[in-house]
Amino acid sequence: MKSNLINEEFLAQVEMLQSLIKNNVGGMFGGNHQSKTYGSSCEFADYRDYIPGDDVTKIDWNAFARFDKLYQKLFLDERQMHTKIYIDASRSMEYSNLDKAECALKLAATIAYISLNEMDKVSIYAIRDKKVHTIINGMVGKDAYISNIGKLNEVEFSGDCYISDAIMPESVGYGDGLSVIISDFLTDNNYENAINYLNDKRRDVLCIQLLSKEEINPLIRGKVHFFDSENVSKAYRKNINRDIINAYRKAVEYATGRLRDLCASIGASYILACAEDDIADIFFGKMIDMGVLK
Amino acid sequence: MSFLYPLGLLGLLGVPVLIIIYIIKNKHTEQTVASTYLWTLSEKFLKRRNPISKLAGIISLILQILLVIAISLTIAHPVFTVSDSCNEYCFILDATGSMNIESENGSRLENGKKEISKIIEESGDGSLYSLIVVGNGTNIIYEKTSDKEKAIFELNEQKCAYTDQGFGDAIKEAQLFFNDNSSVLTYLVTDTEYKTHNNIEIINVAETKKNFAISDVTYTLSNGKLNVFGNAISYTSDEGLTIELYIDGEDEPSATIDTLEVKKGVKKEFELSYLTNDFNNFKVNIKNSDSLPLDNENVIYNVKSENAYEALIVSDNPFFFKTVIESVSNARVDILMPNGKDTIDVPSGYGLYILDTAAPTTLPSDGAVWFVNQTKNTQNSGFTPQSEIILEKGDTLSLTSSSSSFVKKLIRDMSGKNIYIKSYIKCGFYGNFNTLLSYKGNPVVFTGSNTHGNREVIFSLDIHKSDFAMLPDFVILIRNLLEYSFPAVIEDVFYYGGDKAQVNVIPNCESIRVTSPMNNTTYLSTNSEVAEFTLDEVGVYEITAIISGAPRTYHIYSAMPEAERSPVNTAEEISLYGEAGNDKLDGIYDKLIIFFVLLAVIFTADWMVYCYEKYQLR
Repeated sequence: MKSNLINEEFLAQVEMLQSLIKNNVGGMFGGNHQSKTYGSSCEFADYRDYIPGDDVTKIDWNAFARFDKLYQKLFLDERQMHTKIYIDASRSMEYSNLDKAECALKLAATIAYISLNEMDKVSIYAIRDKKVHTIINGMVGKDAYISNIGKLNEVEFSGDCYISDAIMPESVGYGDGLSVIISDFLTDNNYENAINYLNDKRRDVLCIQLLSKEEINPLIRGKVHFFDSENVSKAYRKNINRDIINAYRKAVEYATGRLRDLCASIGASYILACAEDDIADIFFGKMIDMGVLK
Repeated sequence: MSFLYPLGLLGLLGVPVLIIIYIIKNKHTEQTVASTYLWTLSEKFLKRRNPISKLAGIISLILQILLVIAISLTIAHPVFTVSDSCNEYCFILDATGSMNIESENGSRLENGKKEISKIIEESGDGSLYSLIVVGNGTNIIYEKTSDKEKAIFELNEQKCAYTDQGFGDAIKEAQLFFNDNSSVLTYLVTDTEYKTHNNIEIINVAETKKNFAISDVTYTLSNGKLNVFGNAISYTSDEGLTIELYIDGEDEPSATIDTLEVKKGVKKEFELSYLTNDFNNFKVNIKNSDSLPLDNENVIYNVKSENAYEALIVSDNPFFFKTVIESVSNARVDILMPNGKDTIDVPSGYGLYILDTAAPTTLPSDGAVWFVNQTKNTQNSGFTPQSEIILEKGDTLSLTSSSSSFVKKLIRDMSGKNIYIKSYIKCGFYGNFNTLLSYKGNPVVFTGSNTHGNREVIFSLDIHKSDFAMLPDFVILIRNLLEYSFPAVIEDVFYYGGDKAQVNVIPNCESIRVTSPMNNTTYLSTNSEVAEFTLDEVGVYEITAIISGAPRTYHIYSAMPEAERSPVNTAEEISLYGEAGNDKLDGIYDKLIIFFVLLAVIFTADWMVYCYEKYQLR
């Protein structure tokens, strides 16, 4: 990546957003997010019988006066979330124009900033072939952001992308935050296992499917011989006519629907974004519409 | 199959060229895309296509190849042979006078042409056609041609004659065709009904319509009265006919028979009278209309008036010549008196100059010249007066005893006796002359030609000092000499169509032009004494002879031959001899229209495909 991905004006807008994490999170560190476990926040959660040794300051004396029994007040705990952002760094994200790659990195930088703003810990990874390459690990605080975010410029987009094969062997944490996968998901390779795996690990999952405008609505016509940027042996040779364009549109519908349906089935979030769209529009529009941000 | 223009097949070389261009032009555009996943996936959603639709990609190429092939074949003009589908036809078309008879559908000839055209058009391509037309003679118009258009065109060019012509020659020609190919189909298109006909199909185009005619017209002119006689006939029914007589082209009839009852097929005499001393021509016609108007009138010209001329007598005492000439001819006579002068300027423009005593300063060049009692030499006259011989007592002239038929003609009817003279002028000759009357071997009346080629008569005597002018021989001689000096250009003024008319080529006749009733103009040869031409139309022929630079016009009338007047003719037999065969000819099929239609369809289809690919696809 060559240019500054995020400018200050954009970050100032993004700062206004609150990351909305729908599910409970459980992290080792305190933060602005409520934990599913009871903790020391001010938000009342429940009562339980007092057990000797409990903090006497949390005994509900009003309840003792009514019931003549000691009840301990429980409060929701607030933990620090670990946001893990996985960027598809395959060649298909970058080929022919940088729109998809740029958009992916900007999305990652923006999500990272928002998470840091929520006092969360952020890690950013690049998936290339069957491996996850750590770009930024355990970044906390805006100072760390400023000093580390530039590493995104060094991400190299090449090779193929096997999302499941890459993520599942890795330590993805357990119930401690949000996992974001930014990819075009245009592959026969298995990515469903990874998403299910993350969900099983009680992590919130956000899948952002990035497609270019030409991929969504191709304008090319006539006799073409397409070669796949990731694998030259994959080729497509046809006379593009109206019938094929109609079939292609159905294929796009199928590919996006497949991911959308998977996410819906496990409660994960899904966003289809056009790489040529403005990042602000993606955040202020689609993410808010989908309830990812508030 | 064969090709009329095989070189057109070279156009097929365009096919491989087209394919090469197509391959070059339609190469797949290679392009690397981010992912082929969606494109490959789209195959699952592609509707199962008709195998024929797989051709859609190359449909344009296929159409263009078909277009090139069709164009090449069109240029090469393929001809397919269709075995045993054609015949040879021989048509004999009657174009004689009776085929002019009209009906509601046109003349018989036109109907005959239509019948032949129909047969030609319905015959298979490759058939052979021969056409023999019997009109003004028998003419083979075309022989064994396979060109339908030419056959019909030439057929339609045929005109009806006004003559009577038999089919003998035509049958001889048809027999030759039949001998060559006994399967030839021979058609005789005529208005005659034949009781027997073998190997000839008769197409009778006769329709029985009203038809009458006038014939046998004669006249007498005596005592200031013209009597015209003739016959009228109705061929199809009893009729009451109105007969009219027109004198000298007047618009109103000079005499009329309002109703002449005529029985069918029976000639009925009529007579018309008109008071006149003379006439140039008269026309007798039937006023009623019928299917053949051409035989409803006769025009008779007066031979005398047709051959009329003007004479100039230069004499102080022209009495004898003037009286005799006016009595034996219808010449208009002018008199010029020299009043005793020896020489005189003679005006031009006369057919005959009679120079009595006074000599002309210049020999007239535009007419015959008679010299009478000339004592002075006239240049170019062919003779030289020498001296007057005065006889001691009156003596008789001798009539020539020449055996020449020419001379005999000039002295015919003369007795030659008792022609007394008292003097004569002895003459010398430097031209050829024939002596008619002589005195003791010295020519006194002789004829010849001058250097202008005009006929010349010399009377080397003073007729006023002779009793010659008082004798009948003088009148006879003058009559004979007038005929000699003015041979009639035309002797007959009434003919029938098909006859040969004769025109006498008189001296100094430079040209003879004949204008037919239909304004066809021909020029006759003037190299012989008599020019002939065939009258192949009905009506008035105008003959213009240029004689010594001056035109003279004569008229003759050509009437419809009687044999061609009747609307219904019957004959006994007409046949071709031999056993008819049944062999057919191989026909051809060379219609290009199918290729033109094909070209149009392919071109339209190619254009639609092009438009679809260009504009509809997106």
